[in-house]
This record gives sequence, C-alpha cells and structure tokens, in this order.
Amino acid sequence: MSDGRLPDVGLGRSGRVPTPAEDGHWRRMHPTTPAIKGWKIVVAVLAVSWYQLGENLRELSKVHDVHVWAWILVGLVVVALIVSVYSALAWRATRFNVTDDAVHLQTGIVFRQQRQARLDRLQAVDVVQPLLARLVGLSELKLEVAGGHGSAVSLAFLKEADADALRTELLALAAGLQRPTTGDEPGVAEADAPIKSAVDAAQDVPPTRPSLTKRRAPADPIRTVFSEAPERPVYELPMPRLLWASLRSGGAVALVVVVVATVVAMILARDVGAAFVLFPALLGSAGFMWTRINQGAGFRAAISPDGIRLRHGLTESRAQTVPPGRVQAIRLSQGLWWRGPDWWRIEINVAGYGQSKDQASETVLHPVATLAEAMTAVWLVLPDLGVPDPQATLDAALHGRDDDGGFTPAPRRARWVDPLGWRRHGVLVTERALLARSGRFTRQLDLVPHERTQSLGLAQGPVQRRLGLASFVVHSTPGPVSASVSHLDGHVAAALLDEQAARARTARAVAAPEQWMTAPDVHPGPAA
Amino acid sequence: MTSPSEPFAPADVTWTAVSPRLAAARLTSAAFVLLPLLIVIVVIAIAVGGPWLWLPVVVVLVVGVSIAVVTRRQVRAMGYAERADDLLIRRGIMFRQMVVVPYGRMQYIDVTAGPLSRKFGIASVQLHTAASATSATIHGLPPQEAARLRERLASRGEARLAGL
Repeated sequence: MSDGRLPDVGLGRSGRVPTPAEDGHWRRMHPTTPAIKGWKIVVAVLAVSWYQLGENLRELSKVHDVHVWAWILVGLVVVALIVSVYSALAWRATRFNVTDDAVHLQTGIVFRQQRQARLDRLQAVDVVQPLLARLVGLSELKLEVAGGHGSAVSLAFLKEADADALRTELLALAAGLQRPTTGDEPGVAEADAPIKSAVDAAQDVPPTRPSLTKRRAPADPIRTVFSEAPERPVYELPMPRLLWASLRSGGAVALVVVVVATVVAMILARDVGAAFVLFPALLGSAGFMWTRINQGAGFRAAISPDGIRLRHGLTESRAQTVPPGRVQAIRLSQGLWWRGPDWWRIEINVAGYGQSKDQASETVLHPVATLAEAMTAVWLVLPDLGVPDPQATLDAALHGRDDDGGFTPAPRRARWVDPLGWRRHGVLVTERALLARSGRFTRQLDLVPHERTQSLGLAQGPVQRRLGLASFVVHSTPGPVSASVSHLDGHVAAALLDEQAARARTARAVAAPEQWMTAPDVHPGPAA
Repeated sequence: MTSPSEPFAPADVTWTAVSPRLAAARLTSAAFVLLPLLIVIVVIAIAVGGPWLWLPVVVVLVVGVSIAVVTRRQVRAMGYAERADDLLIRRGIMFRQMVVVPYGRMQYIDVTAGPLSRKFGIASVQLHTAASATSATIHGLPPQEAARLRERLASRGEARLAGL
C-alpha cells in the first residue's frame, strides 16, 4: 500500500536539518514535544515499577534510613535523565515534509525510518489533543492512509494553529486542489511561515538573524494558501443525555444486578466478606462508563466540502475529518435499555481507523443519537440512500420486522435455528447501499454502500443446509462494523451474492473520484 | 439437495477442482502426528499388557481412518472459478463457504509452498483485499497453475485498479 516503509535513502545525515532550499521543506515538531511525550514514559515507568515492586515498596516504607531514600532519589533522577535525553534525541531525529502529493516523516535514532503517506490515499485526518498537550496549546496531527496496522502518520506535537493550518492544507491537497505554482506568489511563502517559525523556535535561533527574521515576520495572517472549508453544524450531543444513556447501558445495569445479588447474599449469609466481590465489578463498570462519557463528551458533528467533521472528548479532545466516500460501512445499534427513549449508537468503518488502541474513540459517528439524529447521521455518510422515502425505509429498518419497508426477511423455517430473532433478520438492497437488519432485543442495522463492498461470502452449516437456509456476509475494512444477514433462503442468498457482486462493480465504475474536489458536484445537499 | 440451482453451485459457473495431491499432503502431515503416537501406545500396550490398554489404540485408529475419509472428501469439495470480473472460491461439506472476490478489490496476492507442499508439488494462493475478513485462500494448486493464476489475477487486478 501507499505507506511503504522506505529505507533511509540518502537522508542519513542524522540530526542535521537541511535548509528548505536543498531538501524540500523539512520541518520539526514543537520543541516541547519531548517533555510531553517523556512525561508519559515516566508515568509508564512508575506504573510498571509500582505493579512489579508494590510489595517491596510497602516493605520499604518502613525503612527510615536516609541513605536508602537518597539512593532511590538518585535512581529516579537517573531514569528521568535517560528518558529526557532519549526523548530529546528522538525529537531531533524526527522531521516531516509536506509535498504536493505526499507527507514524508522521518523518525528513529538508531534505526532510521522514512515513511511516506500518499495524499490521494488519505482516509482521515485527526487533530488529537491529549490533556497535557491541550494545557500548553499543542496538538497531534494524525493521518490515516489505510495501509494496515500502524500505518497512520502521526505528527506530534505541533502548535494548535499550525496543526489546523496543516490539516487545511493536507485536506485541500488530498481533495485535488492545486497549490499556486510559482514561488513568487506571496501566499506560498506565507503558507509555511507559521510552521517554519515553530522550527526556528525549535532551533533556538535568536530572532535577530536577518535571514530568519524575514520569515518569522508574517505580516499577513494567512497561514496557508488554502482557506479552511466552511462547515455547517449538524448535531450535538447534550451532556445530560450522554450521562443518562451511560447509566442505562448494559454495564451499569449489570452492576446494579451484581450489587443487589451481593447485598442479598450478604444478608442471607450474615457475612460482610461478600462485599469484596463488588470491587472488581465496580471498577470495571465505572471504567467502562467513564470511557464512554469521556469520549462522548461534547460530541459535535458538522458537514463541510471536506467531509464529515467530528469533535469530541473530555480530557483528550479529538477533531476528526473524514473526507467524502471514506466511510466503508455504518452500524446503528441499540441496547436493550435504550429501546424506551429510542437511542442509537452509530459506528463507522474507516480504513485505517481502529487499528490502534484508539479504536473505540475513532470509529463513533454518534455515541447516543435520537431517531432523528440517527437518520441525519446516516444522511451524512449516504446523502442519497437510493430509495424514494429514506425516512420511512430507515424507520422500517430500525424498528420493523418481516417484510416491513420492503425488506427480504428470513423465511419462517428460520425459527428453528433462531427462535427469538428470526423475524428481524432481513436485507434490503437499494440503489446505493445494502441494509442488513438484525436483533430482536438489541436491534442492529448495518449499511454498506455498494461501491465500498470489498468481497462477499456465503456460509451454510449442516442445520441450515437441511432447512435450505444460508447466511450472507459482506466483507468490509477492519472496524466495528461487519455486515451479515443470517438465515436467508438459500436461493435468495445465492441470487443476492451474484447480484451484489455485479452491483458493487457498476457502483465502483461510477463512484466519485478519490480526490473529491475534482468531482463535478461536491457540495452536500440539505439535511434529510 | 443437489438441484441445479443449489446455492453453492451457481448454474453458469464451471468449477476448477484443486489437486488431489492436497489430500495426500494433508494425510501425510496427519500421519506424522498419528503414527508416532500409535507406535508409542502399541509398545506400551504390549509391554504392560492388559486388554484395556488396547482401547487407545483403537481410538487412534478410528480417528486416523475418519481423517483419511473426511480429508479426501474435503479436498474434493474445494474449488475455484474465474469469472469475468471476480473469482469464486468454495470449500466445506458440512460447513460450506463460498467467497466472491472482485478482481478490482485485490490488494495483493500471496503464493506459498512449505517443504511438504513442495514435495507433493502443490502451492497455496491467497488473495488479500482491504477487508481482513476476506478469507480467500486456494490450497493445493500445482505450482505452474499457481503461477498462472497469480499472473492472471495480478493483471486483472491492475486493469480494474480502484481506490478503497
């Protein structure tokens, strides 16, 4: 794929930043990066040593010898020193360069690595601000290029303004817009100014040096030749709904059950010891709810010509931009306790997302959507659902069963293999997407646009074979959504497999180009 | 259930079977495990004596025979078909599976052959798409057929190259 890990070709002059003229515009991260990253390492070291040496440390607290404490202090200082020297060296060795069609990133002290992310393969651009970076006004810029595990290019950390400017520039370039060509255009020089000034600051160059002062004084406030695409807010998640929804989640309900059971057990056994069982359950449930609340706090979505913009996060804030056509599949799911208020959790597959530990925070399109918001969220991804009345179809898909809304349901004999949920299994093929419906109690709906179908599968177990049933699977890129329709009539499933292969082919042929601004009509229409 | 319109046998598709040598290769690798085990328990049964010690021997023999029968049938059930725009792969008797991989969706192709496979003159071709769920592997191809398929798939994939 596009992020080939190239060997270090001719750029091995480690540590020295070439001047822009000789080697493209190589830039460095913000100089406080080592401090922010080093802090994480120190915490990790402390946490590991606490877990490993917890027992010994407790023993140690009984020691009152000053020398021992002095040695421990020396040890900590040495660790801190090593970490900071390493971080500083790593920072020195890290450089990046944005050309018209790729982002180049050089990292590594001993094993140097140069990574190239092709902009025409760009799947998403995120600006991430962990708590500490946020306090000092820095951001991490993350580019997803769908190259499999660990293929994301992370530029950490940049000044907030620089990160935003760079994101605008990357999105514009990836959209197929051209930078004004010649260098005598004043805008071009200014384009790199803020980031160059960051590099200059990094080099601790006194601002009196004439050649640099010229660049460091951008009279014009324009940061990049491209202006940020205008955006229109679409929905926003109120905090009370998020809190209430988290309380109604499966984890919280399970916790209540455990608490009640334990209390009953304690009363029956007349023993308080059972309360200790609660601790892990409490911790687990509280952790789960905290994660959901932390990631979903202040969730806002907007639409712009550059695609869907999502902003969320309490401690770590994240601003995602997913360009048009990058969403591979959508899932709407509803837990048992969300049926009353009819809330939906909406997740998406984006190539490259969900390959790291951040999966849960990256792949959410709406943490707690009302029915109307859920429909808007689907519209964000699929402006044209390919049916005359998208609202009625979605309503039937979300709440209906059997052949409501024109769905092809599982036949009646499927009740032998799925006695509870067989009436919810169903599939609907529209002109633009495939809708797979399932779940009797915890409802679920998966949508896969035809042009995003990767491959298709058909599976049949021995019981299904006797009943003449088969399950149909649509393979999508890795992520939370894996669409499948269980227990369809065998012939229906086989026909679906055949037709869907043809439909995906024709849809791909007419699909919008990867560089979305080169498409004839790119502006989103009115909300559904 | 072998009517012409059976789900796993579309009417207008001619399937290519994989080499029966795959069954031989699989049986050989099963024998590598089962034979030493059989020898050990037979020796123990003879040395210790006692009729109940022959029970494990019978179990291992039954397992071996059933593997032999099932493997041959499994290999016969495997097949692939090249269509104009996609490749069909099917396998399984009890649990049947069929995968359709459009040529334009292929990201890369792996051809692998271990020492035992090389001895038996077979190779595997695996197709990768951007979806990790795609489990499209054709086992038991003669090497020249594997090479031909690889070239053919690669050229078709290029002709239909598209984004994700």
